[in-house]
Formats: sequence, C-alpha cells, structure tokens
Amino acid sequence: MALISGADREQLRKERLQELTRLKAEGTRVVGYFCLYAPVELIAAAGAVPVRLVRSSADAETAGERFLRADACSFCKSCLGGFEREPLFRLADGVVGVTTCDMMRRLPEAFEAHRTVPAFQLNLPRTSESAPHRLAEFRRQMAMLGDWLASLTGRHADEDGLQQALQRQNRLRQIVRRVDELRATLPAAVSGSDVLDVVALAGLLDPAAAVAVIERGLVRAGQSQSTAERPRVMLGGSIITEDDRWLVEMVEEKADIVADIVCTGARWAAEDAPVGEPGLDLLAGFYFSRLPCMCRRPNDRLYEHARQLVVARRVAGVVYKTLLYCDPWSFEARRLHDELGVPVLAIDSDYSGQNREQVRTRVEAFLETLAE
Amino acid sequence: MAIPASGLMTREWPDPVPARIGFEEWAELFETIPDELIQRFHYFPPNQEQWSLYLFPPQTFAIYGCRHLRRLKFDNSLAALRMWGFVQNETERLFRARQTGRHVVACMGDLGALPVIVNSFPGCVAFYPDCIWWTPFVMESQVLFDAAAEQGIPEATCFSRAALGAFAKHSYFPDPDLVIAATGASCDDYSGVEQLAARHAREMLWVESPLRRSCGGVEPPTVEFLVSEYRRVVERLERLTGHRLSEEELRRGVARANRVRQAVAQLRQLAYGAGVLPALEMMVIEFGNLHFYSDIGEWTAVVEHLLVTARARADAGQRVVAEDALRIVWVTPPADPLLLCYLEDRGGRVVGTEFVINQALAPIDETKPGLEAIACSFMAASLIGTSRQRAELVLRQASERNAEGVLISGILGGSHCAMEARLIADRVKAELDLPVLEFDVAKPGAEIDRQTRTRIDAFLELLRSRR
Repeated sequence: MALISGADREQLRKERLQELTRLKAEGTRVVGYFCLYAPVELIAAAGAVPVRLVRSSADAETAGERFLRADACSFCKSCLGGFEREPLFRLADGVVGVTTCDMMRRLPEAFEAHRTVPAFQLNLPRTSESAPHRLAEFRRQMAMLGDWLASLTGRHADEDGLQQALQRQNRLRQIVRRVDELRATLPAAVSGSDVLDVVALAGLLDPAAAVAVIERGLVRAGQSQSTAERPRVMLGGSIITEDDRWLVEMVEEKADIVADIVCTGARWAAEDAPVGEPGLDLLAGFYFSRLPCMCRRPNDRLYEHARQLVVARRVAGVVYKTLLYCDPWSFEARRLHDELGVPVLAIDSDYSGQNREQVRTRVEAFLETLAE
Repeated sequence: MAIPASGLMTREWPDPVPARIGFEEWAELFETIPDELIQRFHYFPPNQEQWSLYLFPPQTFAIYGCRHLRRLKFDNSLAALRMWGFVQNETERLFRARQTGRHVVACMGDLGALPVIVNSFPGCVAFYPDCIWWTPFVMESQVLFDAAAEQGIPEATCFSRAALGAFAKHSYFPDPDLVIAATGASCDDYSGVEQLAARHAREMLWVESPLRRSCGGVEPPTVEFLVSEYRRVVERLERLTGHRLSEEELRRGVARANRVRQAVAQLRQLAYGAGVLPALEMMVIEFGNLHFYSDIGEWTAVVEHLLVTARARADAGQRVVAEDALRIVWVTPPADPLLLCYLEDRGGRVVGTEFVINQALAPIDETKPGLEAIACSFMAASLIGTSRQRAELVLRQASERNAEGVLISGILGGSHCAMEARLIADRVKAELDLPVLEFDVAKPGAEIDRQTRTRIDAFLELLRSRR
C-alpha cells in the first residue's frame, strides 16, 4: 500500500488549488519555482506562497515548442507550455528561476517574452567549490531576490519570518528523510515512489500540512511493502516529475528503489538548513553548499554521495533516466557507470511516451539481469 | 615580426589582384614566392630556428589530413597565406612550446579573458581547446566525435565536444600543465565537456563566469566578483611558474592583447564595410582574438600584415567580394567553414558577425588595474547575458551595415541555440523587418548537405527579390 494513495494525492492537489485560488483572491502572491536551489524560506518569509512547478506532459512540451526549438530540454519546453495548460502554473504571480543549467538560466526570459509572467533569475554560481567571494556573491543574489519578492508582495522578509520558515522547512526535510531511510530497510517499509510522492507534496503544500499528511501516511505504512528480496535499485538522472510515475512503477514491478540522486527525490531533503542569525547569510551558505546537482562544477561530491548510497543501501544497479538534450545529466551516464561499479541502465527520453514499450523491454531486461 | 608597410612586401612578391582562389591556384601561386620570403616567417619570435617556419601553402596541411582545405576558397594575398600557415601550424607550435620549456595552459569556456592573464606570465602559452571544434570539419573526420562518444557525450550535442575527444586522444595538443575551465553563465554542452575533460587533465581550476543582468552597463559587484575569480587564476599560475606576476607585467599583457584587438577592429571595419577580405579569413581572424593561436607575438605580426593588405586594397578601391553582394549578418560561428565560402559563391557577403566572442573584440581599458580591466571587458560577453541583449548586438550591426538579412547557424542540441535562436529571430523580424534564415550545421562532410544549400539559395533569392 502506498504511503499516500493516488486518490489521496489527487484530492490533496485539488484542495491545494482551491486554497491557492482563495489566497490569491485575498491578495496573497503565489510564486512558482522549479529547482531545489530556490530558497523557499525566503519566498515564504516575504509573504508569498512558494509552489514547485514540476508537472510535465507531452501536450505541454508540444505547446512549448511554439516558442523554443525542438532540441530544447523537454522539461523547459513543458514548463513554458504548462502556463497554458496547468492550473497550478496559471496561479503563479511570479516565477523564480535558478541558473543551474544553461537552459534553465534562459527559461525565465522565455516566460517574460511569451507568458508575461514576471521572473527572477537567482544566479547560483555553477562552481561548487566554496570560496568567500562566491558565497558573498550568492548572498547578494539572495538579497536581490528578496527585493524582487518585496516588489511582488509589498513585504521584505524579516529575521523572524526567515527563522520560522527555516524551522518549518527543516521539519519537513526531516520527515522526508525519515521516509527515505525507511525505503532502505530490509524489508522496505515504504517504496521508492513514496519518496518521490512526499517530495512532490512538499513542493506543493504548506510545510505544516505536508508534514501532517506524511505523518498520517507513516502511521499507516508500518507494514513492510516488500517481503521478497528483489533487486535493489538507485534512481538517477534528470528531473523526475509526478508525470514520470510510469517509469517508477515500471521499475517497482520487479525491483525496489532504495535510493535516488534526483532533484525531486531524496536530494531535496538531504540536509537541514542551519537555524540562526542572520538568516539570509545562513540560507545563502546552505543553498550554495547543497548536495550538488550534476550541473555544478566540479560535481565530484554528488558522485561521492552516490557511491556511499550504493554501498550503504546495497544498490545492485542504477536506472538513469535523462531527458533529451539535458546535457548536465546525459553526459555523465558513462562516467557514472565507470565510477559506481554497478550496472547502469541509461534511458534518454522526452515526454512523448512513444518509446514507452521499448523502455519497458529495456527496464525489464535490466532488472532481470540484476536479479540473476 | 610586424610589417610596417606594404611597399617592401610588394617589391618582393606583389599581391595579385584580390580574389578568392582555390586550393590548386594557391599551389601554383606559392611556386612564385621567393625562398627568402618563406624563410622570413618564424613562430615564437624572435626565434629564427628552421623548425619554426610556417609559411606553407594549404597543400601542406591537406597532406596531413586537413582535407576540407581542398574545397575552401582563400584570399590570394601573402598576408592571408601567412595567416593560414600560422593557424594550421598551431598543433606543432604547442608541442614545440612544451619541448622548449614553456608552460602550456589550456583555457576553456570563457572565450577571451583568461589568455590575457596567462600570456602575461613569462614562458606561458595559452590555448583554447574550444577551437578544436573546427578540426572534425577541416579534417572531414568523425574521429574526435567518436572519441567524445566513448567518453559519454551523445551525438546531438554541440560540436565543441571534439575538444573532449582531443583530450582523450592526448595527440592534438600536449597534455596541458594546467587547465583553467570557465563555467557558470555559459553553455551546458561545453560545461559538460569540461567536466569530463577533467578526468584527462593533470589539474583543473574552475572559474565562474557570472551572469550579467543589465544591458551594456558594468555591474561593480559582479566585476569585483570576477576579479576575485581571476585572482585565483593568478595565484595558481604563480604556483605553476614560480613567478610572481607584477601589475606592470599584467598591464603589458593587456596592452599586447589590445594591440591585436585594435588591429582586428580595424579589419572588421574594412572587411565588413569595404569588402576587402573574405568572410572565411575574417572568422579565423576574429577567433584569433581569443588565444592568438598560441603565440601572441607572431599572431600580432600576422594580423598587422593583414591590416596593411586590407588598407592597401581599400585605398586602391579593390574588393574581394562584389559590391552588390547581398549583405548578411551572421549569428553564431559556423563549425563548417565551407558555409562561409558558399554564401559568397552564391552572391552574399558577411557585413557583421555575432560569434559569441564579442567580449574579445573590444579593447580592454588600459587605465584601470589589470584584472579589473579584464573583468570589465569580459562583462560585455554576449553569452553571459540574455538573448535579448545578444539580439541587440545583431540589430545594431544589421542597422549600421544596412544588412538585408540575418543568418543564424546553430547546432542541434546546443543549449543556447535551442533557447535563444527564436527569440533573436523574432526581434530581428519585428524591429528591422529583415528575413532570417536559421539552420543547424550538419555533421562534417566533403560538401554542404543539399538541404542547407537549398535553404541558403532560397534565402538569398528572397533577399534579392526584396531589392
């Protein structure tokens, strides 16, 4: 049984949309973001409601191709198209982009040109090695984001607001980490898709509400999900959205996803933000130093994390799903295979679904090999 | 070795009437060049060793695998021949640099600033592996792309992946003593190439290219940030060379780079204005501003020789492209140089370029402290800003040169191509009412693919019909 059933997730989404609509009517601003480097605490402390925009679909991707070339990343195209198809996207009064990869860096400009949604680009240094001037620059970028948010909401984030937001988000991260750890137990108490589900809810719901939902789910999920020893798999690659659930389900038919390194999975909750003052300084340090996305340079720390997961969670193989033209992740598939020392199945796909059965064949063959 | 005036050269070997000539014609012409003249040009000046000669005709390099040279058309001046010999000789020059005890430093990704710093150090030679992206086209070979594929880079990716193939092969340049890799507000493809190249590098120093928010103006905190990044570069080079760089040495380094940049700026005016040099040579010249083809001393002389030639032609009212040719601004450098020749063969001419190296084309402010001046110069880079800002550069040149069309050559899978080509095209159409042709350069081959040729032909026909 899933930690949070599909029906419950749909209901929660519906209720959240209604709630956001009401909040907007009352004057609250909704700010969309895409990436786990977006400082949600700052958005919340400025009086806006942060929501993570991670839906994806073939229709939205096609809609995005009216403005971007076909060889733009599927997620970027889908985000652009999402503004005419997804109710959640349409609620956004503004968008915060983070300069992780080049395409995401350029996406806010496309929003402004084609969607007339105000957008702010938070310039996160791509270099991941900590240096005082890099941290100072990122702190300055965060302050600029604070000013931009204030222009949207009429309110600057103050220290109290930041501290409260930090604590609320940390509480949420802690419970998501608990779910993540439970999937690694033997037999697993929750599934890999449960982790992706709770991270998706964490980006959608108010933090306190998300914690309550996850806690209720955990009470129900006391029983083991899996009784038989099955191949233990790690999920990696480009962003995996709720609409990519087909792949997760496909894997879980024959294997347990016991770890992941995707930005919509356990990496979201991998560490707590430090609580203290001044909040903005600590927040800047936290986001700069997060467990790096593959696009950071160098990205060795992510490899180290992946290696640790492979050992600690006895991972037998990696299902590595990249989006077409997602250079930061697709370039690394071979290296990951070389460095992790376990089999890697690399799948490169867009949102069209046309190759789904071909993917099924490959996934099943891969998992059968692992089971031998 | 600077050539102060064309008179001497004219007496020893008078340039023919300006024309674009083929491979065979250059072979015949080369026969008439006196040996004394061939013996005069050496790289790494003031060195005069026999091994450093480089004035060879395109045939020499075709024998070593540059098959595409047989299909290109070249300017028929001695200065252009000298340029081709020098450029094609770069691999040899880099290995000679290593043999003669110089520090070979690879600069990746920033397109213009880092070599100014590296070249300020005595005994350091900077080069750009980025420019290897032309090699598969010039050699009509997939070898470097195949090598990059073995490292994990898929086919639908920027041709700059050839640089990774070259790192993996350890044959196209000596293994650098240091690799300085710029990333940040740049393209994903090359950032990915850099990350994978790190596996083949002795040491890699990462440098952040910051995002530029405002259009045109310099943002003091961002410049300060960049100066801090450059300080790390200086410190690392000081450790490598054991030499402490003085402000005076850096100032001289900036002045040397500026001498080239100023000459190239004048060449751009003459070539794109008066049509005295072909587009192919101009692209090679513009990219020389990045790394001076690993020898700033001799490259300065080559560029100044070209400038003398260009001025002499302009003064004599001689052109190498027809005056009534269709005026095009070319956006993003074509990986296949044959495309530039084809455009001119079909009655077009390039009157402006936006090759994402604009930051290397403008002089560096010599009144400022060295690192600050280099940082300010870099902040003009079209790649680190918005597509809207890049479109402004295109619009400005198109207006100034009364362009009749804009041609955007892209790369399938190139991150910035995918995101900005349409934004730029839309602005050009909306603001100048100019036709835009956008196409992706096909993979290396002996000739331009038929579809691209047809599209260029149709585009030029359209422009002609609008006259």
